[in-house]
Amino acid sequence: MQIQLNHLMPIPLQDKLQQRSSDIWNREITFQQGRFVKIKAPSGSGKTTLIHYLYHIRYDYTGQVAVNGQPWPSYSKNDIARMRQQELSVIFQDLRLFEQLTARENIALKNVMQGKPYYPPEKIADMAARLNVSHILEQSGKTLSYGERQRIAIIRALVQPFQWLLMDEPFSHLDEENTQRAAALIAEECKTRNAGFILTDLDNDQHFAYDVHYHL
Amino acid sequence: MHPFFDLLKKIIQTGVGKTRFLMAAVGLGIAMLLILIAIQAHTNFSQLLYSSKNQNETADFLVINKTITNDMMGQSAKSIFTPEEIINIRKQPFVQAFGLVTSSQYKVVIQAPGDLHFATDMFFEAVPDSFLDVKNEDWKWNEGDRTIPIILPNDFLNLYNFGFSLSQDLPQISQETVKALPLQVNISNNQVSDQYMGHVVGFSDRISSFLVPASFMAWANQKYGTATTKGTSRVIIKTPDPSNPTLVKFLEDNGYTTNQDKLKFSKTRMIVQTIVSVVGFFGLILLCFALLVFSMFIQLVIASCKREIQLLVILGTAPQQLQRYLLKQFVPLYIVVGLLSLLLVAVLQYWTAAILATHQMLITPWPGVLVFAGMALVLALVYVVNWLTVKKYVNNI
Repeated sequence: MQIQLNHLMPIPLQDKLQQRSSDIWNREITFQQGRFVKIKAPSGSGKTTLIHYLYHIRYDYTGQVAVNGQPWPSYSKNDIARMRQQELSVIFQDLRLFEQLTARENIALKNVMQGKPYYPPEKIADMAARLNVSHILEQSGKTLSYGERQRIAIIRALVQPFQWLLMDEPFSHLDEENTQRAAALIAEECKTRNAGFILTDLDNDQHFAYDVHYHL
Repeated sequence: MHPFFDLLKKIIQTGVGKTRFLMAAVGLGIAMLLILIAIQAHTNFSQLLYSSKNQNETADFLVINKTITNDMMGQSAKSIFTPEEIINIRKQPFVQAFGLVTSSQYKVVIQAPGDLHFATDMFFEAVPDSFLDVKNEDWKWNEGDRTIPIILPNDFLNLYNFGFSLSQDLPQISQETVKALPLQVNISNNQVSDQYMGHVVGFSDRISSFLVPASFMAWANQKYGTATTKGTSRVIIKTPDPSNPTLVKFLEDNGYTTNQDKLKFSKTRMIVQTIVSVVGFFGLILLCFALLVFSMFIQLVIASCKREIQLLVILGTAPQQLQRYLLKQFVPLYIVVGLLSLLLVAVLQYWTAAILATHQMLITPWPGVLVFAGMALVLALVYVVNWLTVKKYVNNI
């Protein structure tokens, strides 16, 4: 799966962005499959907006986001759903867990969405253990701390097939140790799938062996 | 069963307005019941009318004549059917067989034999043999026969036995005696008068007239009749269904009349048909309301879970999956409702058949094919409407 940006410009930020240069906005960019892409972005530069454009849940832009050569709007709702189940995973900055489900159910939701469970329960238990969240799996999403929710959201994003993983400040509420563990898990899962990721963050970091760096 | 649907069950709460949904389901049940009963009643009715088992009840012979009004009195020509009118009657769809009633164009006097001192002026009529309800091998006449077979109306003997004879202190006569009596028949016109023997061969319930074989009638009219042939003022038809409203309307429209008793069933039938139609109509109205409430309920469920559904779609749930899930929440109930109504109709039908059987009216004790088709149709309609509603609101999110 190839993602191409074709003079992508967010309409609300147009004036602001025209006054400075960017590696992403208003350029022709192709993200090659399997690459680990880091996009460094200061606050207010449209970091979350970009992730939402790439994931096709926000549409207020000029230019184009093309997936496998086709612009997003040319895909039907059911096609997009299939791609989100099979080819494209995401960790939102605001996490978006279901509060009425337990942590385990939030993970299971993506694990079984495409039909047969993608990972067996043991594998999920193993992931939870690695991120130190085994003890909170039966708690409802409502009662979890932000850091715990973040780790659940990370696991949820990893229990499905994907070729690209989009991450929006995925470690913002994790301590250094948990960040390392999460990054290692993510890298491992990407490698087994031969998948790439696009990660946006405020600062430079050494969590991954990035192939490409962009400055938003 | 389906682990994803189990999770959806926790996310999409279909509990909102559950009472409303159940009431709509009850409404659907009643609607379905009314519709199925209407269909079944219709089936039963046609079975009573047209099934071969009940044929005796219905197929009938009607003698039709013009209504004699005050204006027509003294002008016998006005009561005669014109050839066009006869063709018109003949081509009506409800006429299975058609025959002319030929009247005699000569004078008839009948005398009892011996010293009974009984004589009466009479007339004869003839109809084609296939319209007779009396089967007797003596019912034939060939040129040269001196004996004329005669069929009397049953009513005539009854009038005599229970009216006339009692008041006149005369003996009552059995059918056998009448058949055994040799009657002297005088046939005359203004010039000649001949004597024949009359022999009563049977009594008709169907045709209220004094009947002789058509062959004799043709011959006698030729021989004794006046030169100008009179037209026909009575015709007889065989109809599979004397209660057919078009038949009744045809008679009314043309100023014809027949034995009203035989048409009485028609009114009953029209009343029953009206009731059945009204019941079916209310069923349909109720069905519309049930569909409306279901649609509103689906809309409510989707609206109340709008944020959750949005997030599910963002996470990659296909609209098709949501549609399937939502329909799965409602459709089993519809099927249960449908089966319950069907069961109820089956019980009613069994019960009705048992009651009707005691009156020699035979209908099958099972619901008809149309009832099953009707149920399938209603369920399909409910499903399609639900599917469209779900599709519409899920896609709007």
